[in-house]
Amino acid sequence: MEQFFSSLVQLFEITHLAFLFGGTLLGLIVGILPGMGGTSGLALVLPFVFTLEPSYALAMMIGVLAPTTTSDTFPAVLMGIPGTSGSQATVMDGFPLSKKGMAARALSAAFSSSLLGGVFGAIILSISIYYAIPIIMTFGFGEQFLLVVLALLMVGALTGENFLKGVTACCLGLIIGSIGTAPITGDSRYTFDTLYLIEGVPLVIVGLGLFAIPEIVGLLDSKGAIAKSLKNEKGWLIGIKDVCKNWFLVLRCSTLGCLVGALPGLGGTVVDWIAYSHLKQTVKDTSQLGKGDIRGVIAPESANNAKEGGALIPTLLFGIPGSGNKVLLLGGFVLIGIEPGLDMVTTNLDLTYLMIWSLALANILGAGICIGFASHISKITLVPYYILAPVMICLIFFAAFNVNRDWYDFIGLLTFGLIGIAFKNFGWSRPALLIGFFLSTKVELLSYQTHAVYGLSFISRPVSIILILLCLATILLLLRQKFDASYNSNLVKNKVQQICFVLFLLSLPVTMIWSIAHLDYRANLYPTSLSVIAIFLLTFILLIKIVDLRKIASLDNAVLRFANTHIFEIGARFNNQLYYYASFLGYLGMNFILGFPIASVLFINLFILFHDKKAFKISICISAVLIILLWFLSSLLTLQFPNGAIGLLIDMPWWLGGDLN
Amino acid sequence: MYKIFVLIILSFFSVSSTAYATVDLSGKTITWVVPFKEGGGTSRFARFIQPFLTKYLPGNPDIQVMHIPGGGAIKGSNYFQKNAKPDGTYLFGCSTSVIVNVATGNPLVEYNLSEYRPVLLLPQNTHWFTRTDLADGPHDLSKLLERDLVLYALKTPASADLFHIWVFDKLGIKGAKPIPGLSSSGGYQAFLRGEIHISSHGAANYKKKVIPEIEKGKVVDLMTLGIIGADGSVSRNPLAPNAPTFPEMYEKVTGEKLSGDDLEAFYSIGAAWSQASKSMLLPEGTPDEIVQVFRDAATKMVNDPEFKEKATKALGPFPLIIGEEAGEIVKKAAVFSDNTKEQLNTVLKNNKFTFRVR
Repeated sequence: MEQFFSSLVQLFEITHLAFLFGGTLLGLIVGILPGMGGTSGLALVLPFVFTLEPSYALAMMIGVLAPTTTSDTFPAVLMGIPGTSGSQATVMDGFPLSKKGMAARALSAAFSSSLLGGVFGAIILSISIYYAIPIIMTFGFGEQFLLVVLALLMVGALTGENFLKGVTACCLGLIIGSIGTAPITGDSRYTFDTLYLIEGVPLVIVGLGLFAIPEIVGLLDSKGAIAKSLKNEKGWLIGIKDVCKNWFLVLRCSTLGCLVGALPGLGGTVVDWIAYSHLKQTVKDTSQLGKGDIRGVIAPESANNAKEGGALIPTLLFGIPGSGNKVLLLGGFVLIGIEPGLDMVTTNLDLTYLMIWSLALANILGAGICIGFASHISKITLVPYYILAPVMICLIFFAAFNVNRDWYDFIGLLTFGLIGIAFKNFGWSRPALLIGFFLSTKVELLSYQTHAVYGLSFISRPVSIILILLCLATILLLLRQKFDASYNSNLVKNKVQQICFVLFLLSLPVTMIWSIAHLDYRANLYPTSLSVIAIFLLTFILLIKIVDLRKIASLDNAVLRFANTHIFEIGARFNNQLYYYASFLGYLGMNFILGFPIASVLFINLFILFHDKKAFKISICISAVLIILLWFLSSLLTLQFPNGAIGLLIDMPWWLGGDLN
Repeated sequence: MYKIFVLIILSFFSVSSTAYATVDLSGKTITWVVPFKEGGGTSRFARFIQPFLTKYLPGNPDIQVMHIPGGGAIKGSNYFQKNAKPDGTYLFGCSTSVIVNVATGNPLVEYNLSEYRPVLLLPQNTHWFTRTDLADGPHDLSKLLERDLVLYALKTPASADLFHIWVFDKLGIKGAKPIPGLSSSGGYQAFLRGEIHISSHGAANYKKKVIPEIEKGKVVDLMTLGIIGADGSVSRNPLAPNAPTFPEMYEKVTGEKLSGDDLEAFYSIGAAWSQASKSMLLPEGTPDEIVQVFRDAATKMVNDPEFKEKATKALGPFPLIIGEEAGEIVKKAAVFSDNTKEQLNTVLKNNKFTFRVR
């Protein structure tokens, strides 16, 4: 208890507050940018956290995570585009409200319920920390193994439209995660004798590639939706009153958000829909739902902020990410030397409490800033896409490079970017791939450790039985609910590409089996069995796709119809998005010739001027700020940007790749 | 605690202090290459020493710590081998895993570690302990020797944890079986849950996490690796002065003194694992006068009252090793004799690992 309050005192030190505030601001901004969310925001700050004291770093990281689900309401209400995946349901009623001229009411209701939900989540988290020690002590290797399996099942089954593709994405993530040094024998798997892959594919590269790049390409492709200006809007007080009137709904949805958040792996992507359907089932008058009912804003917003607190429970206690962005939070823990588990509730308890307080405070700050400066902040939605996109690309390249300080990182980033674009357009689950990737080593080790300590007897331990039942329940739930009768594949475009993409995915497990066949069985058993499963699943998907293509009548069979639902995604924008993606390849080429900082300046100028020839003042200002920022970061992080080919001809200063003395 | 005993051995003092007064690093920037991520142990070690070194080097040069992580520390080490100039403007932050890459003959290694010129070494020590119900009081191995199954944590056989296998094999714990993929803190958690039987920690975590459990009566000390002196003597670890060292335990269990090939292997393992746990080295071919300037600066540093005050907390309780002795230790750690390799490969084989020391 004493530590609980001393952490609060610590948090109110000016430096802690500054880092928390900085993080919160960044979180608000990435929340507003459509599609960017906590995952991309954290990936951007990860390169800096290790220069900080652990407590500052934690305050900043939580600051980034907490308010993204608050500020994502701006684009949801004003543009009808969800800012992050957590506000998809908010669009349902938020956008109609805004069209009716009640944007201010919708926003203030959303922010106040976000605030309440977020604080509620922090309270639940602190209560659960109090009981954590016995829980951790009962979770041995076997229980942890089952918990991971549960996480994978949930994320694989519930985050995609088609469960086959979801589970396959998970499986492919596991395979990618097994690249690198085999944890049991020390053999190199799938590294092609390069140093780059010895420690596996870097987490930040996968996270940024899968999430940030597709969203930026999507932003470019949409040409920026026309946002509604917030001038002269009234009704801020009405929104707050709405929340007070519906306090019980806020409480119910926050509880729901916390519970769903605490289920490992699931988190973010579905919690807003669950809250929305809960609302539908429990209110008497549903006539206005979907047409501008304020309760349709309150329910998902209170739930998606409350889930952050819940999702931190498995993250802190077991190192099993509660949602996609917690994967990167765990990556940050490694950087500052914190190991999740027992330490979090014993020797590092002060840091845990600091995180809880940061979470509560960041929610309050975030909502406060959103309400107080709504008309100013909403202007971010008015910045043209062609200015935002190149700056974001440069920042992402920087964040990626700073991980390993390796040219290969750029190539890895663009590779995963391409995979991410295809995943997004063709309806494959990106969170499933990311969480599978992150948990892969854990799955391999835990299965081996469980076997070595318990054999098969772990199944009969009481907690194991509960977890196995939960796994079975997930599968049952899935088989009952996942059937969209209205699915019709006639609207689908790019079917050939979608089939080719499956073939491309097939190449990973096939080459994996081939390249590790000569290793010791303890090094190749795990990736080989995963690859066999993946090949089986992918072939099945391929067959269904071909059958669907030929419109064979046997698809009337119930099981096959179930598998067939959303086997194709609309995917109409894929070719367009590839076109924008190609410009990133150009940027990569410029990097090799000119080195990173010069290439970035050139890229930003070219990109902006290509879209608006009169905008040279803006592009020059942005370039100047960027070059100063890169120079400053270089000295802060002792970072030498790689020399492009130009460095062979001209002597460059040290930070651009030249000699020092 | 203001308790630090700094032991400095400056042997082979061939050049007097005035002869190399010409070495001046003013206006220069020294690049200290650390082949690990920011925030790791070697990074913290470098960042802690960096300001003191600037203060005591002639000309007070700037020192920038440059992290080049990746490839199991091989990438940064190879980078250093290729790019470092032997003029005092490049330093290398080395750790046990950098040494083990060389000692086990990893084919990707391109760095010639045994020829590097060490400035200072920071030793570390391993504590082994077990649950109270698995021993007749502290420092007792008899119950564990009889057990059919004695599980312990092992990160991977390609890391320094390989030495655990050797240690338990020499002590004749027949039931010993490694559980791979467990870091020392992950292993400690499993140990507290009762899933594994012997666990180990370095000094800092031993003090923070293990001593409270010993005081509660749940855990008992088994032994420590021991502190190896310049003359080859092995003394007890001041953090657990009652616990026997590995050679003492060996004698107690087998009735014989550790000697011959076994002793040689112990010295090599001890050098890599304990004595050269973290180190600061100058590149191959650095002239003696420059090496001496750095060693002098290091000597002045350890006598700095501010350093003395902060060092125990930041670096641990063990005295730094400065001077020519350090060079011998790094050589011993980096180049295992064929006999030692043979011993390690035998225990690897007995434990059904396919990894081999080359």
